[in-house]
Amino acid sequence: MKFMMDLFSAEGMATLSFLGVVGLTFIGALIAVGARNIFHNVLGLALALFGVAGLFVYLNSPFVAMMEILIYVGAICIAICFAIMLSEPLYLPKPPRKPIKLLGAGLASGLIFAMLGLLMKKTTWVAAPERSTDWSITTLGHFLLTKYALIFEVISLVLLVAMLGAIVTARDGRGET
Amino acid sequence: MSAWFSDLTLLGCFLCMVLPIASFGLIMIFTRNNHKLSLAISLLCSTIPLIIAWSLLYKYWDIAEPIVYNYDWILSDFIKIPFGFLLDPTSLLMLTIVATISWLVQIYSIGYMEGDPGFGNYYAFLSLFALSMLGVSISSGLLQLYICWELVGVSSYLLIGFWYEKFSASEAGKKAFVVTRFGDVGFFMGLAILTIFYGNLEIANINSAAVAQSMPPWLISTAALLIFCGVMGKSAQFPLHVWLPDAMEGPTPVSALLHSATMVAAGVFLIARIYPFFSASPEAMAVALAIGTITLLLSSTIGMVATDIKQVWAYSTVSQLGFMIMGLAAGSYFAGYFHLTTHAGFKALLFLCSGVFIHHFGTNDFFVMAAKGGRKLIIPMVTITIAALALSGIFPFSGFFSKEAILGALYHHPNKIWFLMGLLGAFLTAYYTFRVIFVMLFPKNPAPEEQHGHDEPHEEHYGVPWVMSIPLLVLATFTLILGFCQGYLERFLLGHTLHHEHNYLLLVSAVVAALSGIGLAWIDWGSKKAKCVGFISYVPALENFFKEKWYMDHFWRWFLNVFIYGTFSRLFTYNDRRVVDGGVDTVAFSTIGSGRLLSFFQTALLQLNLLFMVVVVAGVGLYLLIGR
Amino acid sequence: MINNIETYLYIAVFLFAIGLYGVLARRSLIAVLISVELMLNAAMINFMAFNRFLAPHPAVGQICALFIMAVAAAEAAIGLSIIVAIYRKMKTINVEHATELRG
Repeated sequence: MKFMMDLFSAEGMATLSFLGVVGLTFIGALIAVGARNIFHNVLGLALALFGVAGLFVYLNSPFVAMMEILIYVGAICIAICFAIMLSEPLYLPKPPRKPIKLLGAGLASGLIFAMLGLLMKKTTWVAAPERSTDWSITTLGHFLLTKYALIFEVISLVLLVAMLGAIVTARDGRGET
Repeated sequence: MSAWFSDLTLLGCFLCMVLPIASFGLIMIFTRNNHKLSLAISLLCSTIPLIIAWSLLYKYWDIAEPIVYNYDWILSDFIKIPFGFLLDPTSLLMLTIVATISWLVQIYSIGYMEGDPGFGNYYAFLSLFALSMLGVSISSGLLQLYICWELVGVSSYLLIGFWYEKFSASEAGKKAFVVTRFGDVGFFMGLAILTIFYGNLEIANINSAAVAQSMPPWLISTAALLIFCGVMGKSAQFPLHVWLPDAMEGPTPVSALLHSATMVAAGVFLIARIYPFFSASPEAMAVALAIGTITLLLSSTIGMVATDIKQVWAYSTVSQLGFMIMGLAAGSYFAGYFHLTTHAGFKALLFLCSGVFIHHFGTNDFFVMAAKGGRKLIIPMVTITIAALALSGIFPFSGFFSKEAILGALYHHPNKIWFLMGLLGAFLTAYYTFRVIFVMLFPKNPAPEEQHGHDEPHEEHYGVPWVMSIPLLVLATFTLILGFCQGYLERFLLGHTLHHEHNYLLLVSAVVAALSGIGLAWIDWGSKKAKCVGFISYVPALENFFKEKWYMDHFWRWFLNVFIYGTFSRLFTYNDRRVVDGGVDTVAFSTIGSGRLLSFFQTALLQLNLLFMVVVVAGVGLYLLIGR
Repeated sequence: MINNIETYLYIAVFLFAIGLYGVLARRSLIAVLISVELMLNAAMINFMAFNRFLAPHPAVGQICALFIMAVAAAEAAIGLSIIVAIYRKMKTINVEHATELRG
């Protein structure tokens, strides 16, 4: 019962909700990858993104978490939904999966997982000697407009170009059949 | 930059170079369809250099030390290649000659080229030509001089082939370019030798005694002879003289500009420019003397039988150039350069006068001109006679003084054969010159009457446009007074007056040679009882030989056929086809083949490719992590 | 247990592996794109974790995360438009059928 008691303490609640968030992420990710219906994939992605947003809250940055939900869930998932609607109809029969391909993919990702995990295990992570504790959004804004102003501008440009590119790529060719 | 404007001399030199090229660019890019504007630009950009040239000449009349503005373009080890301006009497005089003649020609061309569709282009080319000649005259380094020298070749190509619709004109342009280029190869090799073994291409330095100390004599001779090849090409010396008579295909003012006063004079000028260097090599001087003599005799004899008026003057130019080279090579820098100066004046005058006749009668044959009443054009007829007198070397015209100077130089040469050859040349010159003059002054068979009736209104119109006659009068004045400036020029060019011992034998023989030439011409062509056949026609074989231009054209044609087309061309074609083309083809085919081979790997299975990539990356990563 | 960098990194690696599996296994281009988004999120978690536990200033990692988001948005826009264009041209979005460039 000690475990149960711990569970309901403040710290225990935090742990529990953290586990919940992680579980949400993994379940969402598995649905996003595993489900056969493409629409379920998007919903799974949205679920995983909510989980990641929760992780960001645990990582002390509610602002990025909010952005995650706004941009990913709010924009990208919706865009993917549109793409789904614009492409192949869902009622068409799907060809059966090829086990060999799934096996290969699983193997490769397993290898990568093993490699990265090993890498992580072997590395000793050293924190910077002096660490600022200023987590405020104000500082973030200051940084974006002073020290990182150039990348800020460049990323705006990238977005603009991407937008134009998307329009040009997706529209019907001029006069082409 | 402020130094540029505070030093007026430097600014002047700079303007001399910049304005003509600016005019060329402006006309070619913007205004060549607007004839009036092109003319205005070109005239402006040739008048300012004219003023600059004369004021520089006036300012530095008592110049003692040459004025040098140098910018070192390449400095590497002992190699030093400067760009800049060098002002000394030699370059100042040439600058003035070039600026004056090209300005007069531009004025004259207003009348001559009026209504030509390429009027704008024509002035652009004239500007380019002025640029290159001014550049030749005031260059401070030999490489800079060489660049301008080649520009002269380019602009002469453009001007000679100006009426490029005419096949012969475009051919002549090509011929002039290629033949002078042929000589310039030698010039360039000479420069290369100088650069490699001496290093300093600054003219003032090459002329100093330092060259003789740092280079062995045989090397100096080689370099000088190679540079002399360039002179032979540009100054139309035997055996590279063949381009000049053909080059008369261009508009007549162009002939006056290029082939009498400036372009061909560039070669002689080059010798004068590096005269101390040249005279350091007795072999080069001897070769130059021989070449000059051969050229003089050869072209004089061809001039005796030519019927095209421009051809006659062309050959006389060649012969006078030979004369100048003889003078220089005989050791008298002043005589050669003085003859260059006077010749520039009277030969330009000859060409411009002929231009008036050609323009008026639409023919190049002076027999036809004479028959059509050429002598009724008063101003050109008088001026052409003045020029002819100068060319023959008759007192008091300028040619008399300069020819006498050259003959004097030849007379002092230890080998008297050159002097005799010079006398023979002077005699022949007088003969063929007055052949033209007498034929035109005293036409034997006037035009048939029906032609008079045919174009009666035209016949009355014997006026000459003032833009064409003014340059004639100016040049005639020069021809009259330049001879008496000999003393001043001597002091200017040499720094002191030559000691003239009055050698009456020399004087008398020169005058006798000229007068007997004129007299023979009078007997053959001038007098009432003249048979109008040259004395040379009594020896038909010789006449034929001269008429065929000593078979030089045939020789070059044969040379081209056998050596260039038959040997090199075929070799290069083979090389091109087999080695170059074959190499490129092999590369291309192997690229296609290997591409085709590699394309089997392109399975279009994106995910498979990616899978392999991931596996490899993961494998390598794992290996590195575990293996350590 | 929570407050430790390796937890987050393991989460990220797992997410990355799942995303990679999706990229390699799925045939629908849209599903591939979804998987790529998962991989990007894994990278983002990495940045945030380093930012939380190691970085000298906590703003830097957040800014990186924001940039990844922006790039992801751009990538999604372009990718989706390409998918739409491919569908219009080939009447399928199955990546295995996109074989026009086979050698």
